[in-house]
Amino acid sequence: MIKLEDVHKRFGSLEVLRGVDLHVSKSEVVVIIGPSGSGKSTLLRCINGLEPIQRGHVIIEGIDLTHRDTNVNQVREKVGMVFQSFNLFPHLTALENLMLAPTKVQGRPKAEAREMSEDLLQRVGLSDKTDTYPDQLSGGQQQRVAIARALAMQPDMMLFDEVTSALDPELVSEVLEVMKDLAHEGMTMLVVTHEMGFAREVGTRLIFMDEGLIVEEGAPREIISAPQEERTQRFLRVVL
Amino acid sequence: MAELLVFGLFFSFILGLFLSLMRLSRFRLLRWTSGAYIDFFRGLPLLLLLTFIYYGLGLVGMETGLRFLILDPVPAAILGLTMCYGAYSAEIFRAGIESIHFGQMEAARSLGMTYTKSMRYIILPQAMRVVVPPLTNELIAMIKDTALASVITAPELLFRAREKMGVTASPTPLTGAAVVYVIFTIPLIRIAARLERKQGRSGAMAGM
Repeated sequence: MIKLEDVHKRFGSLEVLRGVDLHVSKSEVVVIIGPSGSGKSTLLRCINGLEPIQRGHVIIEGIDLTHRDTNVNQVREKVGMVFQSFNLFPHLTALENLMLAPTKVQGRPKAEAREMSEDLLQRVGLSDKTDTYPDQLSGGQQQRVAIARALAMQPDMMLFDEVTSALDPELVSEVLEVMKDLAHEGMTMLVVTHEMGFAREVGTRLIFMDEGLIVEEGAPREIISAPQEERTQRFLRVVL
Repeated sequence: MAELLVFGLFFSFILGLFLSLMRLSRFRLLRWTSGAYIDFFRGLPLLLLLTFIYYGLGLVGMETGLRFLILDPVPAAILGLTMCYGAYSAEIFRAGIESIHFGQMEAARSLGMTYTKSMRYIILPQAMRVVVPPLTNELIAMIKDTALASVITAPELLFRAREKMGVTASPTPLTGAAVVYVIFTIPLIRIAARLERKQGRSGAMAGM
């Protein structure tokens, strides 16, 4: 579903990604960990074309993002993304946040989009917040709306970029629960996180990145309990 | 005064919006053109611009026989106000658009929206709220600047007052004109101040 080949990304003279290869198949839940500045968020942003890359290929369902003729907007419809800072649209209600892209991008009828959006809000436990504006919601609620908003486009895969890092500790679990449900329903997910519990419990594969490279990857339990690489060992000693 | 204001305001806001979008475009030529326009017309005295459009272009029109260059006072004044205030409001719109957190654009794009749709549905509606107070201040300045149109004989308030003064030989018409200006501007000054205070309070929540 997702295929990265020799991906290089530079910001000026700073090389953030230095040749990343990654294949993700359907229904996999790939958890990416690593110290800050290791390039894990950048990697996610390259997958839906928010960051252009300098070398290599990003191939989503057979479509090469780096190809000149590729319409990146069509690919993005298939790739949902959730951000650390929620990025809900503050001038729209929760329901309108969900309905906007399906009606304006996919051209779906309003009634249909409304029904689907209401279902999605119910799924993330916020059916009583449809007409609420984002600034009236807690961080955890906002992030759940953001997940539902991405799901409203009926994507084939979801990218989660440190989605619990900006939350108060007591609000983390409500967001992780939604993500767990999603994983159990078979959604293909790429999750950048510091939540090792989530990685162990839900992840089908764990990737440790450092200095723009994938250092180690494998089954989450094995890597967490017995990391092979010295850098992975050092990182896990600090976070666990 | 009313028609100068209504048309001048309308056209200058439209021009300003387009100039600001050009200024933020990824195409260098559009950015450069807009930047050059804005700098030039912000640096030019409106009085000179009005005089040039009415008398200067009028003279060229008569010399060359290009009759469309000869404008009546009112259209000439509207054109001058639009060109000048378009440059001012472009800077206001640009600042308003840039004040919206970049995460908003990213979120919109990540949902498959094009740049244009993201601007239209996400960025501009939020930017419009931000620019209301500074645009109100623009409106106040424009109300006062319509008086400049009297030098090109546009029949606006000050022009009329001076006519009357010639007849009555008293300063009363001028005083009357002053009262009319102030009746329009003072409420707007109050409104702008209130809007600014309100925005200052809710500003912390912008960009969420």
